[in-house]
Amino acid sequence: MRARVIGLGQAAAGDDGVGLVVLDALRARGVPADIELVRAAEDATLVSLLETCAPVVLVDAVLGTPAGEVLELSPTDLARHGPRAVSTHGLGVPDAVALARTLAPDTVAPSVHVVAVTIERPAGYTQCLSPAVAAAVPRAVERVLGLVGG
Amino acid sequence: MSDGTTRTIKVGYLARVEGEGGLTVTVRRGRVEQVRLEIFEPPRFFEALLRGRGFTEAPDITARICGICPIAYQMSAVHAMEDALDVRVEGQLRSLRRLVYCGEWIESHTLHVYMLHAPDFLGYPDAIAMARDHRETVQRGLRLKKAGNAIVALLGGREIHPVNVRVGGFYRVPERAELAPLADELAWARDAALETVRWVARFEFPDFEPDYEFVALRHPDEYPMNEGRIASSAGLDVTAHEYDAHFVEEHVAHSNALQSRLRERGAYLCGPLARYALNAERLSPLAREAARDAGLGPVCRNPFRSIVVRAIEILHACDEALRLIAAYDRPAEPSVDVAPRAATGCAATEAPRGLLYHRYRLATDGTIEDAKIVPPTSQNQKSMEEDLARFVAPRLALPRDELTLRCEQAVRNYDPCISCATHFLQLRIDEG
Repeated sequence: MRARVIGLGQAAAGDDGVGLVVLDALRARGVPADIELVRAAEDATLVSLLETCAPVVLVDAVLGTPAGEVLELSPTDLARHGPRAVSTHGLGVPDAVALARTLAPDTVAPSVHVVAVTIERPAGYTQCLSPAVAAAVPRAVERVLGLVGG
Repeated sequence: MSDGTTRTIKVGYLARVEGEGGLTVTVRRGRVEQVRLEIFEPPRFFEALLRGRGFTEAPDITARICGICPIAYQMSAVHAMEDALDVRVEGQLRSLRRLVYCGEWIESHTLHVYMLHAPDFLGYPDAIAMARDHRETVQRGLRLKKAGNAIVALLGGREIHPVNVRVGGFYRVPERAELAPLADELAWARDAALETVRWVARFEFPDFEPDYEFVALRHPDEYPMNEGRIASSAGLDVTAHEYDAHFVEEHVAHSNALQSRLRERGAYLCGPLARYALNAERLSPLAREAARDAGLGPVCRNPFRSIVVRAIEILHACDEALRLIAAYDRPAEPSVDVAPRAATGCAATEAPRGLLYHRYRLATDGTIEDAKIVPPTSQNQKSMEEDLARFVAPRLALPRDELTLRCEQAVRNYDPCISCATHFLQLRIDEG
């Protein structure tokens, strides 16, 4: 496997689901067979998905202004400087990465990158992305492909 | 601190609880004057959202209230709807509901025991720091949690916000062979749960035993999950239809969550300690024996020891899930027929954090005209505040940082799910 791309988010919370939309867009576009596209529904799953010999790219929403910016961050950036991740329930993304590295230092992914799309705090229940965040999806797709060499 | 001064201990943002809340303890002249658990997670309008929707939509809408305990919301919703529509779901469909609830108890309790609560007892700021010294233990916790998630994923259709539960049963029921992998992992999980009980029983617990009125479901034959009468340690014994006659929800100015109290007697406690106190004899033999070996006794009033009771309930849920899987025979139909009618239905089930009450009033065509949802964290909020006041009073001499930490730990005893507890409220802010 060349890389594992993990989408995070809550599809019913509007822009928070952008990580999942980016994953769907990658799938629709078609990626080489050795690039795995996978959703992480909860924290324990994310921790175990980080155990792989392949580089990992996490795609997630982060709170930030203006909405619709595509950022490339490390988990450490996320932990130290914010913007704050709002996708997982229980453990945050930086916590899950730190936990995976502590629990499985020999088998954790050699690199973990985060492709983050800035969003405003989700206010309601909708399956739709806001226009600004929807417009960011193609750029996020390109950023992921750039990282995994797809 | 000295007499004549006011000291405020403020935890601006509570870590390792679900949702956003804060805690303010005001101390004046060396006495605890006020404790306020502040829930500032925004209100979520779920009850209003349900009005005007069809009765069949309630389990899917209410499952969105919580990512940790969506099954509890689905179960209270379908039981309340079936109560309104005079439908009984029995046999293997009933067993499958209990099985999926076992999965939720396992994953929710394990998250709390290992990731949120244990670091407090072992002196770590979080589970990551704890994992550096207790790697195998944390790995066991994650695997145990996944065993619970796997049940929810199979029967619910997915791990988070499951979609396979419906009024009358399920949309699809599994073949017997599909449950076999669950059983293999649950056999490991049962051993791991027993190890968990032994692990947490060795923690040191402060001497603190409030005289709670415990409230939980009580069922004649089962450790309660889906069904039973609402009972209390002070003699309450009523049906869900009588809930509103005995319990009242009130708005307090400092919280976006409503607080519940017994009309006659005030604060009460629901959750693992209450379930255990009212139902310990209905635990599986293995769980009963483990509780005895852990030194729990028939009633445990120390909220710090709730971690032991949660571990016992994980063990019971693993045991019960294995029993249900062994006895499973795929039902011919995934659900029973339901027909709408104008009626009001009520139900309470046991969410991992305690009693979860739903009430719906339906129109003739099944449209929801009114909905009421009372989650366990709302019910425990008053007890939590009273406990904090009692807990802090003899510890005021502690350094500020340590006392703040102890207060945070005391809140985590209740595994509060603040996201679930926020309701729509009409707030008036006095700026005078």
